[in-house]
Amino acid sequence: MNTIPLTHILFVSTALFFIGMYGLFTRRNIITMLMSIELILNSVNINFIAFNKYLHPANLDGVFFTIFIIAIAAAEAAVAIAIIINLYRNHKSIDIEDAAEMKY
Amino acid sequence: MSITVVLFWFLTALALLSAIMVLLSKNPVHSVLWLIVVFFAISGHYILLNAQFLAIVNLIVYAGAIMVLFLFVIMLMNLNAETEPQKNTWLKLAGAISGGSLLLILVSVIRSATDMTGRTAQVGEGNIGLISNLGKALFSEYVVPFEISSVLFLSAMVGAVVIGKKD
Amino acid sequence: MNAIILSAILGVIMMFSGIWVNNKATLRWIALAGLLVLLISNIAEMYGYRIWNVNVHNMLYFDRFGLLFNSVAIGSTFIFVALSGSDINRVGKYAAEYYTLIFFVLTGITIISVYTSLLMLFLGIEIMSIPLYILTGSDKRNLKSNEASLKYFLMGAFSTGLMLMGITLIYGATGSFSIEVLNNPAIAQGVSFLEITGMLFLLVSMAFKVSAAPFHFWTPDVYDGAPGVFTSFMATVVKAAAFIAFVKLFDARMSYSSAVVDWKMLLCILIIATLLIGNITAVFQQSVKRMLAYSSIAQAGFMLFAVFSMNEMAKEGIIFYAVSYSLATIGVFAVLLKMKDFTFEGYNGLAKSQPVLAFANTVFLLSLAGIPLTAGFFAKYFMLASVIQTGHYLWMVIVAVLFAAVSVYYYFRVIQAMYFKTGEGETENIHPGFKTGLIILTVIIILLGVAPNLIINFLYF
Repeated sequence: MNTIPLTHILFVSTALFFIGMYGLFTRRNIITMLMSIELILNSVNINFIAFNKYLHPANLDGVFFTIFIIAIAAAEAAVAIAIIINLYRNHKSIDIEDAAEMKY
Repeated sequence: MSITVVLFWFLTALALLSAIMVLLSKNPVHSVLWLIVVFFAISGHYILLNAQFLAIVNLIVYAGAIMVLFLFVIMLMNLNAETEPQKNTWLKLAGAISGGSLLLILVSVIRSATDMTGRTAQVGEGNIGLISNLGKALFSEYVVPFEISSVLFLSAMVGAVVIGKKD
Repeated sequence: MNAIILSAILGVIMMFSGIWVNNKATLRWIALAGLLVLLISNIAEMYGYRIWNVNVHNMLYFDRFGLLFNSVAIGSTFIFVALSGSDINRVGKYAAEYYTLIFFVLTGITIISVYTSLLMLFLGIEIMSIPLYILTGSDKRNLKSNEASLKYFLMGAFSTGLMLMGITLIYGATGSFSIEVLNNPAIAQGVSFLEITGMLFLLVSMAFKVSAAPFHFWTPDVYDGAPGVFTSFMATVVKAAAFIAFVKLFDARMSYSSAVVDWKMLLCILIIATLLIGNITAVFQQSVKRMLAYSSIAQAGFMLFAVFSMNEMAKEGIIFYAVSYSLATIGVFAVLLKMKDFTFEGYNGLAKSQPVLAFANTVFLLSLAGIPLTAGFFAKYFMLASVIQTGHYLWMVIVAVLFAAVSVYYYFRVIQAMYFKTGEGETENIHPGFKTGLIILTVIIILLGVAPNLIINFLYF
């Protein structure tokens, strides 16, 4: 039949979440780290929609949360890009390890 | 094996493989392009889950706006495979092992959760994700968070200008 | 609702006044007037006068606790702008925008102190964080400031990701975002693994936000790199607000014992680690600014006791702690910003060159260390007494007192430098108004140290 167990979808989202987390911790390119954050947020979105559809179909709470996440992710990305450009202007590098003025 | 199930597995494989490719590719431009593939696959999932509006929004906002922003920045900074910094292999291995074990724990939690097993829904039916239903609830029940999020956009806008402007 | 809407409107007003007002001093007066209006409107709401009657659909609930904290946060911000306004104006060209962002941060704070829906928690924390990323990086030519801003953003976004994962698991388990559902004893005792995993994710992400060890590693770098004025704001008002959100979220978790996860044990580990790392590392710092960053971690350890014991006394205590800690830290930073040299040596001989500053600074530091007759003493007393009231983990009180004794060492190093060492004690030009402000703040701190009920009675009139 046309049915897919919920656990399958949750597996997809969990795997995406940890791929994002892995990228955030192991990549040094700031832009790629930002992309990893987007992956994490997307995995959460899938989770919300799957839970909404499978477990709580009476209202649309999960879908709305997803809309807010998407909107806020866009705002966050804009701010992050501004910060990165400013850093690049002063630093000429996007390597997170080069951003080590703080080490004392 | 119905068409939905086939589609589900195809989209899942596509999403996961391209997500891994985002992290593996040396060239940041390729990373962005793979990420766009991930977003398309996820939008496919949304459509399977009856969230049609979200599928479109996801494409417009993520693939259309955010990713173009990323591409612009990458090209502005002239990044390519040569400038790509690499972390050492041991750190990557440690990250993979710790991330993998966390993943295993979470997956086992999900699989063993009693209120989850055997839950299936008719995928590909229903109209809860259509714009008219969403709009009604958004402007009645969710109007307070909706209005409040405008403050967030305003502050992001002010902030991006303050930081990004050349002085 | 008054404070939420009004702070957003005032932010927009500040933004536009940046176009028409060129004088930075005038901008500061506008901001002060705005904060005063905000404070009055919020106090009016505590007495039941509402300007707007909005149907919030059970997403916000304006209880005494949240509203009192809002007053405290707005009042502290008022004192912060009054004392350090001239330093805000010196950070960069965009003074009006900085005030705008401070007002938007206040919007976020006023939301997370009264939220009842996890959606509002998420929105509030984001509204609070995004302006802070900008304020951290506002010293645009300074590489340290840029890096601090980037680090803060990455850590903030990551912890937001964790928080969202937690919320989604809780949604899956309970089908709702309401914390009333979460605070239901049946659910709090842990019915499904999904819900418990979700709460664990939320615990980690909140620990990130309040910089509890072992999730504190971003704090010293960010606090050190950010322009000093904004560090003062971040370390006080914003941190206290995150604690209020933390307390509201884990209310039921700590009140009922769970069969599956020993939440008190988890919190206990967090507290001990935070106190240990914060206090021990602070001892070895050479820069007063960095020492204050670590001391803010140590103070967070004390504030975590409120989440740990979670009774009436803890709720009174966290508000009082927020007041005393915020006021004292704002004062210490205000003096720090006037110094030419941020190391301990820079303070040498300050008592000779600027006796008023040195005396006020001494009172603030004594309050932070928790010496009797200052507000800090009662703050720490309330926290420890709340733990004793629960009757469990009494040994933690002893550990906490020991660490408080350690903290006396590094606070006294500054006092020692000011009074017992010879040096220039060079400062910027001190305005007489600044000295008056410091004296008023000193009087408030001593007054609260003698009569703490002045604040707490507001919870029950």
